[in-house]
Amino acid sequence: MDIISDTKPKDPFTITYPTQVQTSLHSQATLARFDPSGRFVAAGRADGSARIWDLDTKSTVRWLEGHVKSVTCVDWSRNSTYVLTASKDWNVVIWDLSSETDPPKRKNIIRFDAPVASASFHPRNRHVSVSQILLVLLTPGDAYIVDLRSQHRSRVELCEVQEESDEEYQSHSNKHRSISTVARFDPSGKHVFIGTSNGQVLVFNTRTKTMIARHKITGAGSLKSLEFAKNGRRLVTNSQDRTLRQFTLPLYAPPSVDGIYIEQELEPTYRFSDPINKVAWHGMCYSPDGEWLAGGAADNATHRIYIWDVGNDGQFVTALDGGREPLVHLHWHPHKPAIASTTNQGNVFIWHCPTPERWGAFAGGFEEVDENIEYEEREDEFDIEDESEIALRKQKEEEEEVDIHSVEVEKRGDYWKWNAADDEDIAWADDEPDDDNAGWKLKILTEEEEPMN
Amino acid sequence: MDPFAGMDDSTTDDDNASQATEDDPQVPENKEPPAPAPPQPPPPTSSSRAKPHYELKHTMRGHTSSISAVKFSPDGTLLASCSNDRVVKIWSPFTGELIRNLNGHTKGLSDIAWSSDSVYLVSASDDHTVRIWDVDSGLTTRVLKGHTSYVFCVNYNLTSTLLVSGGCDGDVRIWNPQKGKCIKTIHAHLDYVTAVHFNRDAGLIVSCALDGLIRIWDTNSGQCLKTLAEGHDAICQHVQFSPNSKYILSTAHDSAIRLWDYNTSRCLKTYTGHANLKYCIAACFSVTGSKWIVSGSEDNKVYLWDLQSREIVQVLEGHSDVVVAVATHPQQNMIASASMESDLTVRVWVDRVALPQ
Repeated sequence: MDIISDTKPKDPFTITYPTQVQTSLHSQATLARFDPSGRFVAAGRADGSARIWDLDTKSTVRWLEGHVKSVTCVDWSRNSTYVLTASKDWNVVIWDLSSETDPPKRKNIIRFDAPVASASFHPRNRHVSVSQILLVLLTPGDAYIVDLRSQHRSRVELCEVQEESDEEYQSHSNKHRSISTVARFDPSGKHVFIGTSNGQVLVFNTRTKTMIARHKITGAGSLKSLEFAKNGRRLVTNSQDRTLRQFTLPLYAPPSVDGIYIEQELEPTYRFSDPINKVAWHGMCYSPDGEWLAGGAADNATHRIYIWDVGNDGQFVTALDGGREPLVHLHWHPHKPAIASTTNQGNVFIWHCPTPERWGAFAGGFEEVDENIEYEEREDEFDIEDESEIALRKQKEEEEEVDIHSVEVEKRGDYWKWNAADDEDIAWADDEPDDDNAGWKLKILTEEEEPMN
Repeated sequence: MDPFAGMDDSTTDDDNASQATEDDPQVPENKEPPAPAPPQPPPPTSSSRAKPHYELKHTMRGHTSSISAVKFSPDGTLLASCSNDRVVKIWSPFTGELIRNLNGHTKGLSDIAWSSDSVYLVSASDDHTVRIWDVDSGLTTRVLKGHTSYVFCVNYNLTSTLLVSGGCDGDVRIWNPQKGKCIKTIHAHLDYVTAVHFNRDAGLIVSCALDGLIRIWDTNSGQCLKTLAEGHDAICQHVQFSPNSKYILSTAHDSAIRLWDYNTSRCLKTYTGHANLKYCIAACFSVTGSKWIVSGSEDNKVYLWDLQSREIVQVLEGHSDVVVAVATHPQQNMIASASMESDLTVRVWVDRVALPQ
């Protein structure tokens, strides 16, 4: 909304993180995610259902009823046509919101042989509107890339390379085989990052499904979650030692035929932790511009979100207080200073950044000032000017062309520089697009008519 | 907008009062000096731009009192008109046939709007209610009650999840059409709210009123973000966002239509040459071919201006009374216009070039 930034005095210290709860959505949810447009929130529930909230009206527009055990993860396709729910009932369901029914039609049901811990759409898929490549992590620790495209139909497990020749690693792997605890696509979708129970981050190529790097994170312990800044070069990890670490990722070379991978220890650029209470973190999320990091504290008495300014030396900025219902999940809005945080009572708080009421806005042509300023008269301010001259000048000004029609293409999701022409990985992902089209609108289903008075 | 709101029903004090305020041709007395006259349109130059060639295609009769609004459905298949005779009529713009009457309001109608899927139509009435109609069945699906006076204007947002209405009580109300409930009431103006419109992402609402002010509101918080004051004798009658929501188009009682950049509060274009001193006349954008501004006029004509050069490019003659409502077809070069008491027709005009040969 240009108007806000433009009517306010330009303030270099403009706050760009949310500060207040705007709405609480009573969802009985355990997690909630914004869609890429920011208009909807999908809230997954312990009873196996999920609700789609419309934030314009703050009302539920769809119930996704299908799972019989709790929903562990939700994700949206690029243009919000498809929603994915993963559940402890061993299934991943892809819902087609463009169907004119409630609950919506299921586009795919993908069955596994264990509870599903997480699932997500391929991000490049989102970019060109294909929702058919999924990354799925099962509770026992198996990560799969599931490809639903007819030409590529497959389900491939991502396996860590055990190097027999390397003595150190032989002894290491003999001690205990690591278990995958978290799996995420990076924002380009070229790589899959897998966090393990012994403090390692493994990097796989999505197309070839081969491991291309292994990063040891000293002192972290078992990894709990991974998040990326939208440019894909920064990674933040949440681990057993109650510390969030931010890393700058190296550039990964395309996978080599002989299966060589990088073995590299990553040094965090910042570590974030609560020095006083030493709380653990239920989750973290970057702001869309990557300037801020929000951490959801796993405090069992209060709802707290810590904000760090990662664009400015990683300084701690504030702790948002959301009351007495402890936080279990949080997600930052795709392009606004807004956060959806879920409480253990199942409420989803929508945080926003309120603008102060400006009474000057009610009077046309007036400007509000914060303190007295000495008014300096312009040289020609009270000069008498010929009316016809004014009219002539106005007419000149009106010659300027205006564009009333074209809409600037939103920049969301385009932080990653794509060069599909010479990139095999992207060409592979772009194969077989589906019908998740931009400009699609959710059909409004009017409820049963209430008796009219 | 019904310029004769309550006129055929002038038994109550309220109605008389409304008439006095609304139809008063006199500009409210103002001590401030009059605004400079809007600049005259530039002398017609031999422009290389294309000119429209609209011709009358259909004349639809049926309304028995002043028509206040015409609107094409977003899919382009239907044309709706509403009138002070309490009826919404649904027409085929291609054949000129009457398809359906929507009956139910107990007083005259001032405005209508289509949902983006062309399934629902919403109407604003002097009976203080807003009705949502299922156009296919012709039945009312919701009656929105809350306004304490005549409802004068109404609009959907682009996704049709929200409705906004403005009333003669000076309030702007935001509704959830699915539930039929009022979400927010903004005490927006001190006089009749004559137009309300959402921007593309529904984050902003623009409103204007007979108090002469154009205001921009934040939909979520209901806060006023900006006020644009027109010239002192230019009481604004109608406002809307441009198709890309970067500008707003306003019509005012100094016979001028203005295009504003609301971020800088600057008037970018002024369109003049028509007559608009008394009635609430709406203007609209035509973007299907070349870019025109289309408006009715009190000299019984429809005017088309070139968006950029501000020249009058065509004048459509045919109506025998003030043309208060115009609409442009969403996909084709087609214009609908409607007129008042002694004319009572809806006319459909089609660009000759666009006609099948």
